[in-house]
Amino acid sequence: MRPQHNRLPAGVARGFSGSAIDRGRPLRFRLDGRIISGFAGDTVLSAALASGIDTLGLCRGHPIGLVPRAAPAISHASLANDPQRALPMARTAAQDGAEYVTLGVRRPGTLARLFQPGRTLGLLLDDAHALDRPWRSVAGSPGPSADLLVIGGGVAGLSAALAGARSGLSVVLAEASPYLGGNSGLFGTQDGEDSPDESMARLSAEVAANAAVTTLTATRVFAIRSGQVRVHQVEMLNGTAQGRVLDIAAPRIVIATGALERLPIFAGNRLPGVTGTLDAHELAVRYGVWSGQSALFATSSSPAYRLAMLASDAGIAVNRVLDARPHPASRFIQFSRAYGMVQSPGAMPGAVDIARAGGTLSVEIDGREGPSLSAERLLVCGGWQPDLTLWHVAGGASQWHHDHGRLEAVGTCEGIVLAGSAAGYFTRRGCIQSGADAIDQLLGRPRQAVDDPIIDPLHESADGPAGIAEPRPDGRPAYLDGGVGFLERPAPPRRRWHMPFHAQPKAGLLVLSEAPQPLAVCDVAAGVGLGLIPPAAAGVVAQERVALVPLAQVGDSATLPERAQPGVDDLPHYLQGRFGPDARIVRLVPSVQRIFEPGALIYRSSDDIHPLEAIGVVLRQSVNGTMGLVAAQAASAGRPVTIRDKGAALAHIRPSED
Amino acid sequence: MSEAEFDFAVFGATPLAHLLAGLLATAHGRKVMLVGEGQAGYRLIRGIDLSVAPMTRPESWAMLGHSVPEAARLISRIAGRSGLSRVDPIFFAEGQQDSEALSHMRHMALGFGIAAEPAAPSLLGEGRAGLVLRDAMRINRPALEHGLDRWLEQGSVLRLVPQSVSIGLDGPARVVADGVTYLARQAILADDEALMTWLPLKQWPTLLRRTGFASILTTPTRPLAASVMLELNSGVFLTQQAEGGIAGFGPGDLAHFSAHLQALLGRDRQVEQAGQTSFHGLMTLDGAPTFGRVAGVGADVVAGLGCAGAFVAPALARWLASAASPSEAAWFGGRLINRSGKAAPVGDYAPGLARLSA
Repeated sequence: MRPQHNRLPAGVARGFSGSAIDRGRPLRFRLDGRIISGFAGDTVLSAALASGIDTLGLCRGHPIGLVPRAAPAISHASLANDPQRALPMARTAAQDGAEYVTLGVRRPGTLARLFQPGRTLGLLLDDAHALDRPWRSVAGSPGPSADLLVIGGGVAGLSAALAGARSGLSVVLAEASPYLGGNSGLFGTQDGEDSPDESMARLSAEVAANAAVTTLTATRVFAIRSGQVRVHQVEMLNGTAQGRVLDIAAPRIVIATGALERLPIFAGNRLPGVTGTLDAHELAVRYGVWSGQSALFATSSSPAYRLAMLASDAGIAVNRVLDARPHPASRFIQFSRAYGMVQSPGAMPGAVDIARAGGTLSVEIDGREGPSLSAERLLVCGGWQPDLTLWHVAGGASQWHHDHGRLEAVGTCEGIVLAGSAAGYFTRRGCIQSGADAIDQLLGRPRQAVDDPIIDPLHESADGPAGIAEPRPDGRPAYLDGGVGFLERPAPPRRRWHMPFHAQPKAGLLVLSEAPQPLAVCDVAAGVGLGLIPPAAAGVVAQERVALVPLAQVGDSATLPERAQPGVDDLPHYLQGRFGPDARIVRLVPSVQRIFEPGALIYRSSDDIHPLEAIGVVLRQSVNGTMGLVAAQAASAGRPVTIRDKGAALAHIRPSED
Repeated sequence: MSEAEFDFAVFGATPLAHLLAGLLATAHGRKVMLVGEGQAGYRLIRGIDLSVAPMTRPESWAMLGHSVPEAARLISRIAGRSGLSRVDPIFFAEGQQDSEALSHMRHMALGFGIAAEPAAPSLLGEGRAGLVLRDAMRINRPALEHGLDRWLEQGSVLRLVPQSVSIGLDGPARVVADGVTYLARQAILADDEALMTWLPLKQWPTLLRRTGFASILTTPTRPLAASVMLELNSGVFLTQQAEGGIAGFGPGDLAHFSAHLQALLGRDRQVEQAGQTSFHGLMTLDGAPTFGRVAGVGADVVAGLGCAGAFVAPALARWLASAASPSEAAWFGGRLINRSGKAAPVGDYAPGLARLSA
């Protein structure tokens, strides 16, 4: 059994003890045969991470970290042969005594598995389908219907659900994670606001108490069009986690899916131990999971400093905070100075590598000489991108906002509106108010101004663009995003000698258009940062490269309408005029009985071979023999001609009606 | 606001448009401006450039036969070895009418010295006939676009991102970019999008039909029978990408195209859509390509060339610069945009056209 190395102690400060777990109810389960321990309330992923499994597997020979946004599908071992029963690792509650296996990937041989490190799931991520989510290809069963569907259970979604219910609408609220509340906790409090925890708890309690709102947790929406969505829900049936795909009909839909954390681009940005600040915060707050005793931060957004302070309070040694912004200002920066944290403005990692098997990372600072830094963990934040995935799936448009350095939604979508961070709001107050505003939009009511109080940049610097380090051709791969796509930074192929008889390594991606996976909205934002996508085209690229599951049923149109059989004398339009205006349809009688293909060319004599010298062409076979189209001056009855079809054959012309 | 005058303003984002602009400038000494940026590096494919095409007219095969070696040399010079790749495309069809057309194409290809073999039925599925064209060339658009930037700059082709464009009924173009007005004596609308965007509506030719198209990229799957395939009945092109995904495009709205693509690939292939888009394109009513000035006096248009367009660019540039050979002049002259089609029909097989007309 794996001990829970990465579980923080119960009494740890500042809410990192795990609000979702019950430490009085330990549990054990098997994952790919190894025993994992955890607590009631854990997900399979959080328990695995707490037990020190922090590696997904190898991608082109390089280890990739296991994070909530890039976790494999799992299944009960007894149902492993049925991919439609697959479950998401991050949304499936861990159960005592259960036996799970990971799905859909090739594995190394048995001998290699014996010697693979215990911290890895051992998946081979070169397989493009390694992290497939099989439920996306499953047809939906009829699910609940409502006047309003709210997608996302953060503060904006909760606010929208309540506003909808107060307007007399029946509401379904679908939240991907097992809990309501969202991710506001990372971002702290502004003047005049209650704490994020208080906001989330208050709104969650109001939703729970409102009979007009049906809440579906662990329910991810993956397809959407006006009036309908398709979701994958994990629910407990008879004490067992089971997945199902449902179609939910609702004439009004609010997308409140929040913002995605962007990944700074540097070599090794997805190694085990490199984690986004949002994932790290959620795992610590919900499940008390934190790996390593020392941490380094690299950010271009101020909330990372807040996480650094919370981690420090929890006993983690925070060595340094690298900030890609040259002159950042923030109340969090001021506070963190009091903690004695070393701050490096205008700096970001250039390359990260594993210094010691088992966890320590070495971090080189981009563009600077000197010894590399080391820490057990690197927490990164490349700013925030509104999660417009479903908006794009629904056909919504977006455009690149130069000042904000991100894609923002534009235009409208019939019966669908955005709220909260997904709509581009920055503050918790703005997000909460935008939820009510979304309902006003859907109901056609006069809209109230949304108060989104952004602090003066003099005191609170805006997020900088996600850091982009110089390419390191000999370093670890640099990925554009931290999701399931594994899209590497495109680079020209390297010239190198290869040993004969050795397989050549697969060349990397040269251009984004050839990437065979959908481009996540953060991939597109990174593409703009790298100069691979013109900013003016970013919106249309994000829209056309979104992972879309068609909801319309058009199966009956998949086959082409049959065209009528041509008559014996029918002349296709592409032959009209080819042998002059008076060309005639004739019968061709070969001197030796045989069949000619349509299109075989007819010549005056066997000396002619060039198609421009042809005097006719075979049309088709009929019950009367071979029909041909011949130039008028050559169409005299009895005339010998040469037909070229698998050699030359002599034939005589006869009138077609003979 | 100053004004600069050019001989030609070429509008278009395809390799054909850019090669045309560059050739008019470098080979024919004209002063050229170009409106339209290549997007092959980041957009889904909307077209493909092959040295062969689903044509049935011998004069068109002859034109392509003369033009392909010259175009290939030019592309290699511009983009290096990566600009072209060798492929064995398969054209296939269902039903007697389209299969007959396929057979005409095979005999025409053989007549012009191209190895053309029937495709094994096991490669295509029941009820389909296919044709493998050996050793054709395909332009690698991202690589070509990379080289084109440098080549066009060397040729002093001015590239503009316009704020406004107006095209006169008698052919001149007026482009405003960065507050400067640029004038050209003759506009050339060299791809479908340019034509639909800039051609004065009152001059819209009756020969052209605006049609919905869709393009879909799938996640990686097992290889197709050939890296490039064309279904004649529907006009759907399938190409296998280097990274294993399949890109398909063709006429139809997105929902129907998606269903048809899944049917073509087979239900046993578990693929997801990695990208999808719909757009508009043009087809000529008789299936043959078209050139020349709209209404006899307006902007020059280029449409209906299909997958072989870029390989005709050198001949087209000569014709536009009044330097065409007699056979080239006859070919282009027979396919003018204001043709009636009754006197000397030039209609050709156009994939998908019959289905759309049905």
